[in-house]
Amino acid sequence: MTKPSDFPPPFSWREAVGPPTDPEDERIEVGVAIVGAGPAGLACAIRLGQLLEASPETAERLGEVPVAVLEKGKQAGSHLLSGAVVNPRSLRTLFKDRKRTDEMPFFGPVPGEAVYFLTRHNAVRIPAPPTMRNHHNFVASLSQLGRWLAEQAEESGATILPETSATKLLVTDGRVRGVRTGDRGRGRGGEELGNFEAGSEITARVTVLCEGTQGHLTGAAVGAFGLEGESPQVWALGVKEVWRVARPLERVIHTMGWPLRAPARYREFGGSFIYPLGADRVTVGMVVGLDYRDAELSVHDLLQELKTHPLVREILAGGERLEWGAKTIPEGGFVALPKRLHAPGVLLCGDGAGLVNVPALKGVHYAIESGRLAAEAAFGAVQRGATPATALGAYDDAVRESFIWKDLQEVRNMRQAFGRGFWMGGALAGVMTATKGHFPPGNARTHPDADQELIATGRASDYPAPDGKLTFDKLSSVFASGNKTRDDQPSHIRIQTRVPAELGRMWERMCPAQVYEVQGGRDGTADVQVTPSNCVQCGAITAKGGRLTPPEGGSGPEYSLT
Amino acid sequence: MTTLVFLEHHEGEFVKNSLGVLGKASSLEGDTHGVVVGSGVKELAARAGAHGASKVFVADDPAVEAPLPQPRVDVLAKLVRDGGYDTVLFGQSVLAADIAAALAARLEAGLNWDLVDLVEQDGKLVGKRPALQDSVYADVGWSSAPRIALFRSGAFDPSETGGEAQIEDVAVELEDFSANATMVEQAHAESEGPSIEDADVIVAGGRGLGGPENFRLAEELAQALGGAVAATRAVVDAGWYPYASQVGQTGKTVSPKLYVALGVSGAIQHKVGMQSSGTIVAINKDANAPIFEFADLGVVGDLHEIVPKLTELVRQRKS
Repeated sequence: MTKPSDFPPPFSWREAVGPPTDPEDERIEVGVAIVGAGPAGLACAIRLGQLLEASPETAERLGEVPVAVLEKGKQAGSHLLSGAVVNPRSLRTLFKDRKRTDEMPFFGPVPGEAVYFLTRHNAVRIPAPPTMRNHHNFVASLSQLGRWLAEQAEESGATILPETSATKLLVTDGRVRGVRTGDRGRGRGGEELGNFEAGSEITARVTVLCEGTQGHLTGAAVGAFGLEGESPQVWALGVKEVWRVARPLERVIHTMGWPLRAPARYREFGGSFIYPLGADRVTVGMVVGLDYRDAELSVHDLLQELKTHPLVREILAGGERLEWGAKTIPEGGFVALPKRLHAPGVLLCGDGAGLVNVPALKGVHYAIESGRLAAEAAFGAVQRGATPATALGAYDDAVRESFIWKDLQEVRNMRQAFGRGFWMGGALAGVMTATKGHFPPGNARTHPDADQELIATGRASDYPAPDGKLTFDKLSSVFASGNKTRDDQPSHIRIQTRVPAELGRMWERMCPAQVYEVQGGRDGTADVQVTPSNCVQCGAITAKGGRLTPPEGGSGPEYSLT
Repeated sequence: MTTLVFLEHHEGEFVKNSLGVLGKASSLEGDTHGVVVGSGVKELAARAGAHGASKVFVADDPAVEAPLPQPRVDVLAKLVRDGGYDTVLFGQSVLAADIAAALAARLEAGLNWDLVDLVEQDGKLVGKRPALQDSVYADVGWSSAPRIALFRSGAFDPSETGGEAQIEDVAVELEDFSANATMVEQAHAESEGPSIEDADVIVAGGRGLGGPENFRLAEELAQALGGAVAATRAVVDAGWYPYASQVGQTGKTVSPKLYVALGVSGAIQHKVGMQSSGTIVAINKDANAPIFEFADLGVVGDLHEIVPKLTELVRQRKS
């Protein structure tokens, strides 16, 4: 049977690590370089701003640009996508005495909640598992929250560089010195076009990687400094839509069961979420673990199928789809965390480091907390007389002493339990919750998503035909993501293009943005045609046997409501 | 309102888009003047009268023969300052965009680009600019004069007003820095027939053609109809046809009188580049293809059978 990992991508993290090559006077020197304007990176920038405000002499020593945040999207928030029900605790700590939660861009506290187990035609309400209770949490669009955080970061003195991808970690003498940004204006074959602009080298005293899921340089740092955790990282793919609706939804809804299948042999772990975004908007999304096996499984089409369920159809009735997007979620949890969250000159935060609590469906507040703690460690490291290498170690200690560590340790084995199917997984998860993670003792291993052998079950015949009103095809969805990436740039996706037919078909179905298309082929092999400009950079391909690298800055979706 | 329209020309002909903008300007209140910059262009300039200009300035000088932006900025900036123009309009092109941007900087004026219409509302000039992937029009204005604007290709059809323009020569006085750039070489992709932005008839090929060799069907039909050949992103990506002919969200936006789509599924990314075409004819063997939802005439069938016959019929009618 075919395993995606038998066809590894032509890529090595070594390509993304190297010494600076620009002459010294052409490098751009900043104090702290933060890669990624998401909740982790912006929290880090905001906290640094607060600390530097109270310590002008440190700010002065960091030069003209004490804090720079690199963002590959068109602007902060362009590539942010989440549910999201946000636990406000880290934001309260970050903005202590400065901002109240009612000044943050939330759609109010969770008004009420319900969890359903779905079958094709019915919905059975079940008690919410303890990990999933959301009282006192807030509903948000992460894209909007990100834009707001970016404003706060700029006000606190950070320089945000949008449309700037970080493509290489600059390392000399075993220490991270900064990052190199991507070239712009290259043609499809890599040739320089008329508007070519070479990337720049941004050197910094401390580099903080807050790249989110599937971080390009985070992966490089883990490889270069031997930071692999005890178990490999695994991911889920989430696809969601934002709708304008006729009637307000007054609760947050989670569903399990249909259209996913419970038996263990399918390894279909996931569910859906339906949240109100104010009185006239609703977001609906489907999340499925990428350890699935069925070559015809398509999260995009499962979401379309979900919307035909009476429960969901009624919520969306008379409405209109406004936006669409997709992103992966690191699901390995505690056992898949990097061995250390720092290496000389560099810190790892948020989703990139894998700080996600799957049973609670939460990660945003860990990202913010880790960003804040990274800022404090970075600030300590740039003090006069500090030895940066040891000072950055304070970050690991701080994360281990924080609620992040305790939360993740408690639920460390739950995701793995669902590898035994829905019912067994549910029962085991109950025991783990009751014992606060003490039973079973020890850590259950994860297995790479790309190691799962592919099966065929004819699943695709159930997917509804797109009607352009309730259900949509992938290309219309890509359009609704705001993606208008320049077509004639080099492909940023690394895969083998001649592979067994079932692997080609798996990629074709897996990708929510129709990047991969199988072109015939013979003797059970397929030629895979890649349309990189459709890519919304969700990262599923990296989990399932390929490798996403950063395209030209400014490419990809332009989310505003997700 | 006194308006100056930059009249771009290429190989002895006005660019269609400039004439469209000129026609639009002349339909609004006030005087509309044109400006032509080049070498040996006097005769051409006189023709602008028939498209709505009451006066045409001609900067005829070998020094401005090459289509470089800075010398044109020098000519326009002087005209706007001396003539007191409050509005300067351009049809969007690579050259026009360069000139408009530099002129805006030189005059410290506001520039709105990518406009598709211009109207007078409550005594104010308001531009219409498509936003959010062309799903809505944003109203844009100017807070100071002169108001500079670039109009999207195909925004207006040229109109024949049949008037005559007064021709006025202007001397070319270049700034020192404007002579720094020189034209080394001008090259263009070899193509027969009109470009897709200017064509009244477009025959577009999609993946339904089956292979690059079958673009011959589209080319023959286009030739018979006197039109140009366009392509979808999918086939350009696959290397079947050059990028310059790509129509759609990330390619060109076209609005011919007739758009014949061969084997084009009609994904929204393609639709936004051609939806303002006059008549849309689709031939596709997939009856569920989205293109049939917005085509004026749809044929469900095998294009390999239909197109050669259609081409033959067109040729017979024409001869």
